[in-house]
Amino acid sequence: MQAAVNLLGFESSLLKGGFPMAILKRKNKIPLGIYVHVPFCRSKCQYCDFYSLTTKDDKLLDSYIDAMCAHIKEAGSLAPSYRVDTVYFGGGTPTFFGAEGLAVLLTAIRRSFDVANDAEITFEANPDSVSDKLLRRLRAEGFNRVSLGIQCDDDAILQKIGRPHNYAQAVSAVDRIRKAGFRNLSLDLMYGLPGQTLEGWESTLRRVLSLNPEHVSCYGLKVEERTPLYQYKDLCNLPDDDLQADMYLAAVEILRTKGYRQYEISNFAKKGLVSRHNMKYWLGGEYLGFGPDASSDFGGKRFTMVRDLLAYIDGVKNGGSVITEMQEIPRRERAGEYLMTRLRTTNGINQAEYEKYYLLPFAPLEEAMERFAKQGLASKAPDGRWYLSPEGFLVSNSIITDLLLIQENTVPLAKKRY
Amino acid sequence: MTELSKIRNFSIIAHIDHGKSTLADRLLEECDAIDQRIRAEQMLDSMELEKERGITIKATAATLTYTADDGETYALNLIDTPGHVDFNYEVSRSLAACEGAVLVVDASQGVEAQTLANTYLAIDAGLEVLPVINKIDLPSARPAEVKAEVEDIIGIPAEDSPEISAKNGINIHSVLEMIVKDVPAPTGDREAPLQALIFDSQYDSYRGVIVYTRIKQGTLRPGMDIKMMATGAVYKVVEVGIMNPMGLIPKEALGAGEVGYITASIKTVADTQVGDTITTVENPAPEPLPGYRPVQPMVFSGVYPADGAKYQDLREALEKLKLNDASMSYELESSIALGFGFRCGFLGLLHMEIIQERLEREYNLDLITTAPNVVYRVTKNNGEVLMVYTPLDYPDPMEIQLAEEPFAKVNLIAPQEYVGNIMELAQQRRGEFKDMVYLDANRVELHYEMPLNEIIYDFFDALKSRTRGYGSLDYELIGYRPSRLVKLDILLNGDIVDALSFILFADNAYPRARKICEKLKENIPRAQFEIPVQAAIGGKIIARETIKALRKDVLAKCYGGDITRKKKLLEKQKEGKKRMRTFGTVAVPSEAFMAVLKLDED
Repeated sequence: MQAAVNLLGFESSLLKGGFPMAILKRKNKIPLGIYVHVPFCRSKCQYCDFYSLTTKDDKLLDSYIDAMCAHIKEAGSLAPSYRVDTVYFGGGTPTFFGAEGLAVLLTAIRRSFDVANDAEITFEANPDSVSDKLLRRLRAEGFNRVSLGIQCDDDAILQKIGRPHNYAQAVSAVDRIRKAGFRNLSLDLMYGLPGQTLEGWESTLRRVLSLNPEHVSCYGLKVEERTPLYQYKDLCNLPDDDLQADMYLAAVEILRTKGYRQYEISNFAKKGLVSRHNMKYWLGGEYLGFGPDASSDFGGKRFTMVRDLLAYIDGVKNGGSVITEMQEIPRRERAGEYLMTRLRTTNGINQAEYEKYYLLPFAPLEEAMERFAKQGLASKAPDGRWYLSPEGFLVSNSIITDLLLIQENTVPLAKKRY
Repeated sequence: MTELSKIRNFSIIAHIDHGKSTLADRLLEECDAIDQRIRAEQMLDSMELEKERGITIKATAATLTYTADDGETYALNLIDTPGHVDFNYEVSRSLAACEGAVLVVDASQGVEAQTLANTYLAIDAGLEVLPVINKIDLPSARPAEVKAEVEDIIGIPAEDSPEISAKNGINIHSVLEMIVKDVPAPTGDREAPLQALIFDSQYDSYRGVIVYTRIKQGTLRPGMDIKMMATGAVYKVVEVGIMNPMGLIPKEALGAGEVGYITASIKTVADTQVGDTITTVENPAPEPLPGYRPVQPMVFSGVYPADGAKYQDLREALEKLKLNDASMSYELESSIALGFGFRCGFLGLLHMEIIQERLEREYNLDLITTAPNVVYRVTKNNGEVLMVYTPLDYPDPMEIQLAEEPFAKVNLIAPQEYVGNIMELAQQRRGEFKDMVYLDANRVELHYEMPLNEIIYDFFDALKSRTRGYGSLDYELIGYRPSRLVKLDILLNGDIVDALSFILFADNAYPRARKICEKLKENIPRAQFEIPVQAAIGGKIIARETIKALRKDVLAKCYGGDITRKKKLLEKQKEGKKRMRTFGTVAVPSEAFMAVLKLDED
């Protein structure tokens, strides 16, 4: 089978080029996250531009599973020095795909990879597709975290944006998820929705928080060009940027008072319950993505699978190309990624780490951060790391691009031996 | 050398889109001067820009060999003249090289101001002006009326003028016959001391400057030591010859009456100024030909590389352009806001645009140009008189005793129904009405005196739009007059951006200041902080806008570890920022400078 060549083409599993992984020290094996893209939904939401299909064609689902299993197996053989500590099933709607399919895929992962006993294993769910039976089965298979997309508590808005469920179903789903034994639940919410007001959003948050999730994600609606919403965006009373900014700041404040710590631009968790999988994206961990349009950062390279289910299946089965983009990221570019990804988190950036891994001077960045601090956009922690304030997160693109420009003009430090 | 009686030197005068180049093309074809197979459209306009804009920027010339109906073979020297108001002096020198001019008049539109101005130049230069009625095949053609108009307005006979279509090649032969018959043969003594008129020159990287000349007296041969009488430059002639559209054809000599070229290993066109007289060192002419005037740029603008690191590239590009364009000037200038750049002088706004476009296209530079200004004359309290070429040098108002600005005499021609519009426009531009003359039953010529500054700002465009394209314009400088001038400064976040300062008439300051602030607000992206945009005169704020702080610029979701796509987005944003100039803490895109330059377009 040629899929292995398609997937990676690495001669051996390599350490990544200088990306900091404090976590490395923990064990001999390198930690790895696995993302499984399940590109099936009951219906398409109006704002969604992720790759998913609204089909339940059995034959197609079967060949998808076959291809995924083959792909996972091949990749596993290339990663003997890794230990998987997070698995994430996203979509699409994994629960719409069904418990059986998810179980088969997780089993394939366990067979081909060394999955840690305490691995965080998440699946995404919609309130309309979580039967008690499905939940029990997945819990039994070893899934231990659920990310439930409820978005909003206003049924009129839910309908407007094309969600296939109402709020009552969401409440019921939470209840049943708990009963099935999941102790780590994340709720996905959206602000900036059509017709939403600041007051409406604040009451949504309070109501949702009374369900007592361990983790909350709050995403501002972004109208993407290739979505149905884009066509009528001017007609549906969308909150403007200023109102979205107010909603965001209100959310940060409400969540803080309820005991949720902000650890990333859009993510909040009770102490110790951050999404370990998502943190890999921001802290430079390695991850492999399976399925159409899934992204990986593995062995020093970034790559993305083809955004077409049939092409993906065909590629894996017959040795065609499944990777649309593969890039080896040089250290200098990793230094830019460090700023881009780290500043999304409250971990932020720090001098020692930055200078050690990228051999670039931190002082010019520090100077800029001091300027941002004066504007209330950033803070320096007692341990010396710099991170953005909620107001800073809101304009983080602008801050990050300023820093990237500064970084571009810095000259590498003299090499030291470590 | 061709016998004097077999030479005809002529130029073609036409309004911009009235078919001058097309007619020239047809004449060349008729004389077989151009091989059909290699014929490009409108050979004489060889610069890409000229073709695009449909105007002639540089004069060129060609010798046509024509066997006339009388059986004799003639050398017809066609000297093509520039066609824009910015280049009036160049036109006058080209005309001085001719004995006749073919006046192309559009059969439906009639006589236009620009044509008229050049026709008067030709008549003043003693040329025989021969009208030709063009575009005769258009349904709207009214040749009889237009002929009568030519006779009425210009006062030259037009009854027998050829009725032609240059585009469709109708009656071209009759134009050639008319040239042979009605353009006087040149006169001159080929044994006399040399007097050769320079009507253009062009830099060639292999031969040095190629000088286009009309020999008025004497004979010019390779090996002669020549002297430019105005600049004093001395050279040894390498080659002489004639031009045809295929290229340069070397000859043994050029004699009085002939039109041709000279090469003499000349390194810069600054030594071969248009209008200067070439004579020999050995046997110099007692005096130069009349009419020489050193070129004088009238409009000045700061030209800066958009990327400060490209300063050296810009300098080299200007050096190269200058080799070929003696009418442009440049001097080092440094702005606090834009760093190093050049203060460039141009004949007019068209000339400025052309140079800028050439810099951007031929030398691949991104430029930031500052608002163009004329040269102001300021007398300080201590009696010192300053010529102010840039707002950067404008003295403090307290030190100024008298400020003056250049004025021009403006002639405007349009159908009478637009007189109201023109008067309104001229008044807005501080025009002082002199008089108005009816050219015929429905066309009017208006005379104004107006500050040059008001003319250089898109006056021509404004005139066109208010006369549906029928209005035409011609102007000439008449000297300095006292004026109430102020320097307007623009502040971003409290700091003066010197590159945005400019000098203007006091009464215009308020509306203009407001407009500039609005434009800047539209064109400067929101930053992480609030940016006040202010306009001030001598420290007093007269207009203000505020660019609100950026509140939201974030990628909320970064799904499934898809860093690559988000990275591209940030990279793009970063590159966008890179193209901006940072003033203090404010990043300004070059579009903002452009927007300020184009204030009057809406």
